[in-house]
Amino acid sequence: MTRKSVQSDDGILVTRHLTKRYNGGVVLDNISLAIEEGKTTVIIGPSGCGKTVFMKHLIALERPTAGKVFFQGKRIDDLDEQQLAKIRTKYGFCFQMSALFDSLTVYENITFPARQHYRITNDKALDEMVKQKLALVGMDGFQNYYPASLSGGQKKRVALARAIALNPEIILYDEPTTGLDPITSDVINELVMKLKEEMQATSVVVTHDMKSAYKVGDRIVMLHNGRIIADGDAEFIRHHPHDVVQQFIHGRVGEAELAALRLGGTRFETQFTPEDFK
Amino acid sequence: MIEQLGQNVIKTIGNTGRFSRFAWAAHGTMARTLFKPKTYPRILTQMYAIGVLSVPVVMATGAFVGMILALQSYDQLAHMGLEERMGVLINKAVIRELGPVLAAIMLAGRVGGALTAELGTMNVTEQISAVESMGTDPIRYLVAPRVLACLLLTPLLIIYADLVGILGGFVVSVFQLKINAGAYWSYSASGVEMWDITTGILKGFFFGGAIATISCYKGFNCREGAQGVGEACTEAFVGSFMMILVLNYIFTVVFDAIYKSFWTVKPLL
Ligand SMILES: Nc1ncnc2c1ncn2[C@@H]1O[C@H](COP(=O)(O)OP(=O)(O)OP(=O)(O)O)[C@@H](O)[C@H]1O
Ligand SMILES: [Mg+2]
Repeated sequence: MTRKSVQSDDGILVTRHLTKRYNGGVVLDNISLAIEEGKTTVIIGPSGCGKTVFMKHLIALERPTAGKVFFQGKRIDDLDEQQLAKIRTKYGFCFQMSALFDSLTVYENITFPARQHYRITNDKALDEMVKQKLALVGMDGFQNYYPASLSGGQKKRVALARAIALNPEIILYDEPTTGLDPITSDVINELVMKLKEEMQATSVVVTHDMKSAYKVGDRIVMLHNGRIIADGDAEFIRHHPHDVVQQFIHGRVGEAELAALRLGGTRFETQFTPEDFK
Repeated sequence: MIEQLGQNVIKTIGNTGRFSRFAWAAHGTMARTLFKPKTYPRILTQMYAIGVLSVPVVMATGAFVGMILALQSYDQLAHMGLEERMGVLINKAVIRELGPVLAAIMLAGRVGGALTAELGTMNVTEQISAVESMGTDPIRYLVAPRVLACLLLTPLLIIYADLVGILGGFVVSVFQLKINAGAYWSYSASGVEMWDITTGILKGFFFGGAIATISCYKGFNCREGAQGVGEACTEAFVGSFMMILVLNYIFTVVFDAIYKSFWTVKPLL
């Protein structure tokens, strides 16, 4: 596939030749991607391929080893924290592990960004805002709970409510539906689409869930070993010729993995009994 | 061997640089938060946790220091028949060195450990990244109130330790060792100067600032996992402890130099 080199104003968020190494190990390898405004871009890929690391570069929580990141045409990866703070108020970031503040209640978690950036005088309006955002994710009534007393899926939904509290222009979701039941997952999918339609929000969704990828994604990008191996709409991905892509979207094990399992003949090599260790 | 040494030197220099930048940012933002009434509630919460809850342990530390000094110095001085002058020795030692240093070390354990563990856990659960991702400077939100509370309250806690230390020394000297109370106080009063008290308390600001800055820095930079948080706590305590001892030595030298050069205008001090 030949690709025209990506320019800094091709989309609201652009990475050019983004490379990230941790102690020598390459996690992201020369990724150039332009994320279009008002569209939902889904990023898929096997566990550990660098999806979360890529997302964190989009909001400059991680700095690239090489390459550049642009937001609305302006470079952000070399800004200092103060300059970034202003830009980040336009973002909502929903962390994979929720990252709720465990010393604050659900209510305080959701009002945190508002209280940090605005002088709040009308507490009623704030209560109303929290109620509305929690209702969107089906968590109204949990205002006074502490994160420690919520389940994993509930935490994730509260984190989502916190990410959209300030009506951000761009929302980054890191696996928003992982660990949720099918119905709640679909509620989240609907929510992503609703935010796109009503507020023209740009979304980037990292997910393993192909059903939600097809449903919400205007465009699906697949990462593998730190590179983009497929990039297109749902139809394009469904019929992508690449084996790795087909295996991933159908959840099939590859020949190489099967060979590793077959190594020991009929009996798995790993099937030790306690007597083997005597 | 040499390569290893070189690597360690580079790492140490890198860490020192990063720590200095952190300390600079923390104190800069701290000065600015002073003028933002919005942050006062957070500072007060920290003051309660750091200051009020530390009073009992700090007082106990002070009391035992005074008492043990009395017991130790009595034998030495009684040999020479100078036991009535014990008060000078005890009170000067408590006010100038032992009160501030031991109270600070107590705080390094009680407060520093808690700060590192709290911020370290927030770091490994990505809560610090979350603060950042919402456009808030984590140093301003998390570090500045803690450093400020520690810096302001350590001198106060040192005063507590001093007072109880003086009392402890007095009780042991007068009631247990049967020294004349009048003589004890009058020698003490003539020996201890305002300068001793000022320098002792002045040290507190620096000790408090050092404890909080080191502990917060270690929390912010701790490695993943429960073990990482544990290691960070250990390093924070050892680092604060060393810093307190080094700072104390430097201050004693500097304050002595100042004292000697202003000796002529002493009555004014
Ligand atoms: N701070 C870090 N230091 C060192 N290596 C890291 C760090 N963060 C991530 N990595 C490495 O980067 C790789 C990609 O991690 P990442 O979290 O992006 O995976 P992921 O695609 O989000 O996987 P998952 O779907 O399981 O969440 C992993 O191999 C991980 O070991
Ligand atoms: Mg991930």
